[in-house]
Amino acid sequence: MLGFSRSVKVSKCLLASPARRLAAPLQTQRCMRTSVRSLAYAKDLFLGKVNKSEVFPYPEISNEELEEINQFVPPVEKFFGEDVDSKKIDEEAHIPVETLAGLKALGLFGIQIPEEYGGLGLSNTMYARLGEITSMDGAIAVTLAAHQAIGLKGILMAGTDEQKAKYLPRLASGEHIAAFCLTEPGSGSDAASIQTRATLTEDGKHFLLNGSKVIWISNGGLADIMTVFARTEVLDKDGQKKDKITAFIVEKAFGGVTSGKPEDKLGIRGSNTCEVTFEDTKVPVENVIGEVGGGFKIAMNILNSGRFSMGSASAGMIKRLIEMTAEYAGTRKQFNRKLADFGMIQEKFAIMAQSAFVMESMAYLTAGMMDRPGFPDCSVEAAMVKVFSSEGGWVCVSEALQVLGGVGYTKNYPFERYLRDCRILQIFEGTNEILRMYIALTGMQYAGKILTGKIKYMKKGNVGVVFEILGKKLKGSLGRNVDFGLTGKDGVVHPSLTESAKMFEQNVALFGSTVESLLYRYGKTIVDEQLVLKRVADTLINLYAMTAVLSRASRSISVGLRNHDDEVLLANTFCKEAYFKNNYWMTQLQKNSPENNDANLKKIAQAVLEKRAYTCSHPLDRTY
Amino acid sequence: MKVTRLLLRPQHIGWITPFFKPSLHIPLLQSPLPRLCCGQGQRWIHCGSSVCKNKPDSADFRELFEHETEKKDKSLVTHDDLFAQAAKDAKTKANFNRVVDVFNKKDIRRRGHVEFIYAALRKMPEFGVERDIVVYNKLLDVFPKEVFVPQNFIQRMFNHYPRQQECGVQVLEQMENYGIMPNVETKVLLVQIFGEKSHPMRKYQRMMYWFPKFKNANPFPVPHELPQDPLDLARFSLTRIANDLDAEITVYQFPLTDITETGEEIAQPHIVGIQSLEQRSLLAKHNPNRPVFVEGPFPLWLRKTCVHYYLLRADPVPPEEKIEEEPDPELIGPEQSFFYPQRVELDLNRDLGDDDSFDVDDVEEGPVYAMCMAGQSDQATLARWICGLQETNPVLGQIPTVFRLESGTRELQAAADVHHSPEQNAEPGTEQEHIIEEETLRSQGMKQSN
Repeated sequence: MLGFSRSVKVSKCLLASPARRLAAPLQTQRCMRTSVRSLAYAKDLFLGKVNKSEVFPYPEISNEELEEINQFVPPVEKFFGEDVDSKKIDEEAHIPVETLAGLKALGLFGIQIPEEYGGLGLSNTMYARLGEITSMDGAIAVTLAAHQAIGLKGILMAGTDEQKAKYLPRLASGEHIAAFCLTEPGSGSDAASIQTRATLTEDGKHFLLNGSKVIWISNGGLADIMTVFARTEVLDKDGQKKDKITAFIVEKAFGGVTSGKPEDKLGIRGSNTCEVTFEDTKVPVENVIGEVGGGFKIAMNILNSGRFSMGSASAGMIKRLIEMTAEYAGTRKQFNRKLADFGMIQEKFAIMAQSAFVMESMAYLTAGMMDRPGFPDCSVEAAMVKVFSSEGGWVCVSEALQVLGGVGYTKNYPFERYLRDCRILQIFEGTNEILRMYIALTGMQYAGKILTGKIKYMKKGNVGVVFEILGKKLKGSLGRNVDFGLTGKDGVVHPSLTESAKMFEQNVALFGSTVESLLYRYGKTIVDEQLVLKRVADTLINLYAMTAVLSRASRSISVGLRNHDDEVLLANTFCKEAYFKNNYWMTQLQKNSPENNDANLKKIAQAVLEKRAYTCSHPLDRTY
Repeated sequence: MKVTRLLLRPQHIGWITPFFKPSLHIPLLQSPLPRLCCGQGQRWIHCGSSVCKNKPDSADFRELFEHETEKKDKSLVTHDDLFAQAAKDAKTKANFNRVVDVFNKKDIRRRGHVEFIYAALRKMPEFGVERDIVVYNKLLDVFPKEVFVPQNFIQRMFNHYPRQQECGVQVLEQMENYGIMPNVETKVLLVQIFGEKSHPMRKYQRMMYWFPKFKNANPFPVPHELPQDPLDLARFSLTRIANDLDAEITVYQFPLTDITETGEEIAQPHIVGIQSLEQRSLLAKHNPNRPVFVEGPFPLWLRKTCVHYYLLRADPVPPEEKIEEEPDPELIGPEQSFFYPQRVELDLNRDLGDDDSFDVDDVEEGPVYAMCMAGQSDQATLARWICGLQETNPVLGQIPTVFRLESGTRELQAAADVHHSPEQNAEPGTEQEHIIEEETLRSQGMKQSN
């Protein structure tokens, strides 16, 4: 309780709003809850609102938990540092059995499985912390993530007590490895893309699973237990038969499960990815997860909850890269000067540090939100963390490699492996493009439901509403006195971050009005405006990142963490950069904006795609 | 013909020219030439102008004109004869060149070269050299060099040797009509013959300005030399109609002539078909109770060649039979991040100010499932095509196929084809273009032979 009281004290002194998370009893946070509590920080930003009680103060863990995690970290770090030969794993495209055994012994196969089932029972926050270390080897990180972040999450989230009792202990010990089978060839948007079909046997006790090919299944070749999604015939309300997706727990021992040759991949080569085929696999009815026909929602929840950890994993990776490259830059001399003395090299380190800082802030803020009682829905936040960190990670690895120049390009250094490994982050668990659409459209949907009435009045020419909006716009353009109460007397942001907080507030206000005008202009056809949605999503990601760094840096100063002045500097730098980027994107989103080049881009792409080739003549071509 | 008019304008001032002639560098060649060249009726005004140069007297002029007209016929005949003789052996480029060489060697002064060039221009298509830049350059080479280059500002200002210049312009004009781009040699010749700022030179410059700009204007160019092999020609034509990169060409039957033991000759016509994946999936969804039609032949013009193709099509699906496939709302709706959300549930439409779409009236048309070209247009051949199609489209086995082929019996066809005649009209985009192209060529041809 020491930590509890101290945090409360801190929040009383410096941060106005009560520390809500800490008020909850510690034990409850750990368990998975099924009741959904609405949490709408990101969604409220679409309305131009800052729901500050959700994100301020920055979430903390108790001292007990901190101690616990600090006990876990060193042995894991030691194991990864000494016993894992990443180069060999990458070359041989295989994780040795001893390494896997080591991971199992450390309990890394059951990080989030409750203790009663033999797991470590750690919270999301602590899972994120371990993710920082496991990311030292991409292949192992992916294997572990496929096992517990998606593979067994279905049982953990929606399984019955019997299912949990039956499967979780062996999964927690690593005796069984789990996989998640959803992706299929030609994965499109229609239900037809999932071809695996489950039909009920005549006695009604089993489902027969038949699937052509379920491809790109991480751990497909290793897995003993799989969460499989298949189409089942379900009677809908009108009594018509309809295909719905159902989730099953399938043991390899059920028979009829064959896995193909592991794919030869660019990166994360040590992880096992292959296609899995089901042929008359007999699955007992008890192995349905949730209810028949409710599989897609389960799949969604699994994916949504797994994404946030990518932030801490990327941040962990970048922190290590900084150490490695900084050493090189400090010792290597060029033109009689140290590499570290060159401005362009310094810039690279600043970028890396800033990215790591922002990713970390976002990841732990989101993890903290998810750890709140009531199993809140943080899917948009998690998706934002995933997009931001996967892209930031790619840039940072590339910059780190650049610092080393040609040396970094060789296989003598691990940079090229990191570069290959981290490329997958932008692709799996929902590509960044799909997630951007999801982020933007979820918010649009939310804002649209609330704003529809108002916009309709405006369209009808209701003078009152029009004047209200015009007045608001005028006020916004004249005085920059947007105030969401982040700063000032009862502010939640530390005074040294006032300027950044103001920028953030202005951005949010403008974002709210931008969203409104987009809804006014496009209505429900907004789904077809992908380039618009991309900017909306990017702006929102930046806003969320600004929130995270403001919240984190405020806490750090307030509780007096070591080097908090660096955090303030990083936070201010990032906020300034993001502020101008956001402003630019939102300017592009204005009607007839000269900054907006979308129409041209579309034309170029159309010309190219029509020919399916580059269309221009060769510069050396002649007509006469 | 603007050029002509331009050339004519200063003709009455043309008389002045002779008075300046003595100052020229090559006086010997200068004066006789125009008179000699007068013997050509087509451009009587030019004759007149050149006559005027020498004989300002109007009575004299008329007399001379009549005289010249008589002579002209003769000279024309002689040049035409030259070509006619050459044509007896073979109408080839070599023979054509030989005629030009003969003319060049006959007289160092190149007497009557304008008439000769006009005659040669007319004969070019006959010898099949109308698209040969080398031959055009050779013709221009017939002009004597440096003679017609204006030497002072007055000559430059007024129309210097209009008939020769006009003839030079005509050579370029014919090149233009056949789409032949002049080359550097042409330019050098023109500079040598007429000087830097002469009318032919201007014409050359204009051509060099516009030709490259138009050269690649057609996104679907047809080569001058069409493939000889009927299979290749069919491939080319079918890909041209079905401008779809997914479309797959299949040769259902290779052309073959065979003699059986009884001495009968069996000719197997070629059958080449095209079908895209989309067409295949459309056909798979076709209601087997409704027939599909094999229709044709429809013409396709490729420059001067006309080829015919056949369609496998069906009537438009009546609205009551259309089944809208509703995807699962759970999978495409918002709130899901696996497949991206494809709709939002909002009661707001696109604002009018942002609605850039045009009001397009969609005309319902029946689907076209495949196309083919065949060596013979009888039903048996086309039935073989349908058989071949069945391999990739098994559903065709269950669908009744109706052959509606247009051949000799027109009256019978007319009644049956009333409702699909719009179909035929829907195609002519390409045809008409070609016909127009042909017509313009012909009219240009007439223009040059005036």
